[in-house]
Amino acid sequence: MCLKPYHQNQDHENRIQIGPLSMKKLQIAALVALVIAVVAFCTLDAGPLLHLKSRLLGILSPISRSGSAVKSGIGSLGRDLMTLDQLQVEYERVQAENHMLRAENNGLRDLQKDNEHLRSVLGYRERSAFLLVPATVLGHDAGAWWSTMKIGKGSRDGIAPDMPVITDKGLVGKTTAVSSDMSEVLLVTDENCKVAAKVEGTREQGISAGTRNGGGELQLTFLSKLADLQPGQKVYTAGVSGGIFPSGISLGTVKSFRARELDGEAVLEPVADTGSLEEVFVITGAK
Amino acid sequence: MRHTILFLLLLVLLPVSVAVQDLLPGIPPAQERLLLLPVIFAFGVLALPLVPALWFALLTAIVQGLSLLQIQSGQAEMGLTVPVVFFLGWAIVLQMASEATHGMRWELHALGSALVTLTLMAGEFLLLCARRGGFPLDGAVLLKLAVPSAAALLLAPLLYLLLRSLVPLSPSPAEPSTAPRQPGFGL
Repeated sequence: MCLKPYHQNQDHENRIQIGPLSMKKLQIAALVALVIAVVAFCTLDAGPLLHLKSRLLGILSPISRSGSAVKSGIGSLGRDLMTLDQLQVEYERVQAENHMLRAENNGLRDLQKDNEHLRSVLGYRERSAFLLVPATVLGHDAGAWWSTMKIGKGSRDGIAPDMPVITDKGLVGKTTAVSSDMSEVLLVTDENCKVAAKVEGTREQGISAGTRNGGGELQLTFLSKLADLQPGQKVYTAGVSGGIFPSGISLGTVKSFRARELDGEAVLEPVADTGSLEEVFVITGAK
Repeated sequence: MRHTILFLLLLVLLPVSVAVQDLLPGIPPAQERLLLLPVIFAFGVLALPLVPALWFALLTAIVQGLSLLQIQSGQAEMGLTVPVVFFLGWAIVLQMASEATHGMRWELHALGSALVTLTLMAGEFLLLCARRGGFPLDGAVLLKLAVPSAAALLLAPLLYLLLRSLVPLSPSPAEPSTAPRQPGFGL
């Protein structure tokens, strides 16, 4: 199965119509323009590049939205096709969960009253009172070495670069490039997403980041060599001054710890399963 | 006219391929991702004459470079220079291969797609190692290089047939060309 390049058939026709000299001139002009374009694009700084990326996100937005809608439609079709036995099991599970949540809710009302009372007494501001913008996950970046995803909210909804992205479970990442109706999120599992973190029940603080091979785990470095960390201990954002991430957002749990030459390093299991997210919240400010 | 239609079609397919590859699920066991952009790129540079192929390579490089762009401390971790050089280089190599094999072939497209995918990902990995330090070459990294390249090799013939059916006015693969061959990549 062999196909002659189009130009081998077409160039001959073009030469008859336009003339060989004109064709040569046109091609030389196109090559000169190409060289100018190459030089222009290769010398762009970070600012114009980020602006161009936002424009690209704007172009990709309608395609990603349509594709995401089709994908979720197909997914829900598969989920909806359950047998009667499966439906019965699902109904019983939901009913049991409902009873449990009602009981839990009653308990939480009392706790909320206590909490509000203590907060007013101590004069603390509600640390977790963020302004949240809900966003749908449109897709995960197919690149192998960067962990990013795209969400269906942008500058039109008040989102800007470097805003924290969370779920009800904990931290997901931060926004990087933003177009009018779509944003890119750098996930906590990326090597470049560095988060100041503290370990529950200790005075240990370190820097958390993902791994280059995208294994899904986090590495918490710059801990004390003598830190006594146990598997299962929770890790939260430390909220350093001038940083992006507020304090107290759940980040992950300790899987293992080892002392290195100069510091200690813990491997964390992130709380948010970044590979299967469907809805996230962007923190746009405090209430 | 045929070149223009083909070029415009490929131009539309560039962002579509980026959006679609982000939506596709991962390939088991390690959920590696399928890259469509190199497959579209290989088809474009094999099917177009040299100058439009170089322009198409530049546009592919811009789309790929921007989609991977990360700004760290006010500087681009990987700007557009590396993707531009990479895709322009491959455009010339694939044009030469097309000339050497007397026309575009599906086998050449499949091989080209796999090689472009493999070298693209290996190049990105080496660049990141040079920028960030360390060289964590392990089984996971090798899988990330091998699986998408093999997937591109298998997917390329299907996309070749699909794109050939989409491109209007294209001669039948079996139809021999009566036009005289032009030396030097059609320049």
